[in-house]
Amino acid sequence: MNENQRIQQVLSGNTSAFAYFVETYQVMAITIAYRICGNIQDAEDVVQESYVKAFRNLRSFRSDSKFSTWLYRIVYNTAITHTKTQMWIGVREAGIEDASHLADNTLEMNMDEKERKEIVADVMQKMPKGDALLLTLYYMEDNPVKEIAKITGLNEPNVKVKLFRARKLFKEMVVSSYGMQVTGS
Amino acid sequence: MIIMMEKYSNQKEDEKIRQMLLSVKMDAPENLKHRIMQQIETEKALTPQKIKAKKETGSVLIELGTIFGTMYAVLAAMIAGVYFLFGKEFLFSAQFLGAVILVASIFSLLWLISRLDAHIREKKRVLSKRE
Repeated sequence: MNENQRIQQVLSGNTSAFAYFVETYQVMAITIAYRICGNIQDAEDVVQESYVKAFRNLRSFRSDSKFSTWLYRIVYNTAITHTKTQMWIGVREAGIEDASHLADNTLEMNMDEKERKEIVADVMQKMPKGDALLLTLYYMEDNPVKEIAKITGLNEPNVKVKLFRARKLFKEMVVSSYGMQVTGS
Repeated sequence: MIIMMEKYSNQKEDEKIRQMLLSVKMDAPENLKHRIMQQIETEKALTPQKIKAKKETGSVLIELGTIFGTMYAVLAAMIAGVYFLFGKEFLFSAQFLGAVILVASIFSLLWLISRLDAHIREKKRVLSKRE
């Protein structure tokens, strides 16, 4: 059964069919919310509110786009409203400039899994929220730039530029904060 | 060749970043799904009541229209009958006005009784639901 059929089931009154969408997308939804809110309690509230909004407005969902994109857009907007955050203002330009020398380098992390997880989590926490969110959407969910643009409301060239900068900043922060080995390509 | 090597290097690096980020993917709390579904079920349970309330408003208007529509039809028939049988003057007589008031009172009473009946039924329904 595909997603459109499940949506039709929900619309015809079978509420329990909506559990599929909760089950499938809740991990990514909470990750997005967490990147914006910065704490798990608010992220949970945002995700719950977003799913309820999605359920209420399911009739307005157009099947020409992906359900996940539509849902993540709701999560994004709800989290922004919840935290009253301005996502794309105050990006650390200085940090970005500093990171430019790393564009041609390759990340090498010679450490155990646990340590690596802690480091990456810490870096993501310290990064500007918008950058961390873009990396999350691009790498964790394999969302193409077009989908990311739909979710964040930015235009595609803007997403590309910000993603490039976010990638650089991520590398710079991983390297500078933890002194990891950086080898030339 | 250099461009191809650069592309390969970028892909390799992208893959590394992907692996790093996937390792910190968050887990949704176990009760979150339950919380969401519970709220949605509650929303759904509340929705039919809203429709019912709307239907209730609609039925009141229909009832009002039926009863008073019939009343005005009866009054129109009375006026037409009186006009053709007794002439224009009789329409302004106290006798005829009394008859008009009587008809209007009977229909108003009928509407009042029907509303009272609907109110009692609704009260009984709510009480039986609570029990």
